[in-house]
Amino acid sequence: MSEVLETPVQAKKEAQEFEPKIVAFLCKWCSSAGSDLAGVSRLQYPPNAVPIQVMCSGSVSPLYILSAFNKGADGVLVSGCHPGDCHYLKGNFFARRRIYLVQKLLKFIGLEPDRFRMSWVSAAEGTKYAQVVADFVKDIKALGPQRKLKARN
Amino acid sequence: MVAIEDIRSRAKELLEGGMVRAVLGFRRSSAGLLAEPTFVVASEDVASLVWDATCVHNLALYLVNEKKRQKAERTPDTRPLAIIAKGCDSRAINVLLQENHVAREEVVILGVSCEGGGVVDTRKLADALRGKEAASAVCDDTGKVKVATASGEVTFPAADVLADRCLECTIAYPSVSDTMFGEKVDERGFTARFAAVKSIAAMSEQERSAFWDGHFERCIRCYACRAVCPMCYCDECVVDSTSFIVSPMTTAEEKANRIRWIQRSTTPADNAMYHMVRAMHLAGRCIDCAECERVCPVNIPLRLLNTSLEQEALEMFEYTPGMDPAQPSLISSFRDDDPNDFIR
Ligand code: SF4
Ligand code: SF4
Ligand code: FES
Repeated sequence: MSEVLETPVQAKKEAQEFEPKIVAFLCKWCSSAGSDLAGVSRLQYPPNAVPIQVMCSGSVSPLYILSAFNKGADGVLVSGCHPGDCHYLKGNFFARRRIYLVQKLLKFIGLEPDRFRMSWVSAAEGTKYAQVVADFVKDIKALGPQRKLKARN
Repeated sequence: MVAIEDIRSRAKELLEGGMVRAVLGFRRSSAGLLAEPTFVVASEDVASLVWDATCVHNLALYLVNEKKRQKAERTPDTRPLAIIAKGCDSRAINVLLQENHVAREEVVILGVSCEGGGVVDTRKLADALRGKEAASAVCDDTGKVKVATASGEVTFPAADVLADRCLECTIAYPSVSDTMFGEKVDERGFTARFAAVKSIAAMSEQERSAFWDGHFERCIRCYACRAVCPMCYCDECVVDSTSFIVSPMTTAEEKANRIRWIQRSTTPADNAMYHMVRAMHLAGRCIDCAECERVCPVNIPLRLLNTSLEQEALEMFEYTPGMDPAQPSLISSFRDDDPNDFIR
């Protein structure tokens, strides 16, 4: 269907200029502060990631992740405090298990595993955050747009 | 072999003694091969109970539905309900116990071991019989299934006609029961566990993607798979905006503002969303009764989605659902040495 709607010219344009949309769920206490640090340190990194601040990586429901893909994200990042550093002590351990399962499930239905990523970024790791996003953008550019879960409207 | 007379006499005892309000079991159906679920309330009706390879349904579903029905009753009979449970049914009951959806004293579990057999898959059976109609199906002790047809009895190897889940089943006996019928059999010698999932996982990414796209695009969102699932007991379901509870007090604004996480449209992407959400909601809860797959009118191999997570849970987290009602659930627990190397 979508192939029919796209003219060859449009398709070519898309391939040339594909800028991935990434939704990044960042926990308030570490990763979000880490991304702020990347900003105030004036680090150069791709602007593709839309940050969404959540209270804890453990509060990210699999539904958020799936919904982000459904609403058009090409990649989803969930980032939290390093193990042992979670503000709520255990949230990121719960997240780790849950996200592992989401990743395996998406892989099982044939969604490229590189589209979904988790990272530990502390408030002091501005450079790491910039690196995580830069790597992610590079990997997704190689994959092209995500269509499997994206609602067509 | 499990003798049906033993089950009947126990059921009779329970009913005559007034210890249970009903016995939930199987009886012959008036249409088709499969036995149908029945609530036996009068002790003289226990003779209608049957037990063979056509007792396919997961009766735990009726436990859940009965609970809903009872909640609406003005003067409910609070005596426990007796339920005949295969290995898989009993694991489902265990999950319901674990989640405090059902209390242990609400049920009397008559566990029945499948021993060296299991239940039939009607699609496989129809293929094997090539147009002939089966009148009955019984597993014998040697891993064979005897099927009666109008033109005589045919015997098939279990692999040809038993449900995939039974061929892969390693715990074919009840994990919880008050009375157990039959023996625990550990060596069943059919297919290796997770064989079906592994064959899909072995495909290339493109093949797997195309495989699932081809299935998801056919889904008509009848929600039969959800309706038949004993674990899908929520009154409001996130995948279905028509299930959102509306009372006379609900304002138009509240209705309009309900988040519709997933659309009900049957586009391939929304169907995939539905199945992803459902699989996640069943992670660590699905006990592989494969009822979803059986009831799907368009033959989507739904069991694979749930068993793939069951395999991950077992291999990475050493978690088997439905074995112990006291264990913390898969996703509300963690271990320090859970996999971490996938995280950047
Ligand atoms: S899955 Fe196992 S316990 Fe359930 S019916 Fe089949 S053999 Fe019996
Ligand atoms: S039973 Fe089949 S067609 Fe119906 S909603 Fe489930 S997967 Fe879709
Ligand atoms: S607060 Fe950062 S992961 Fe929990």
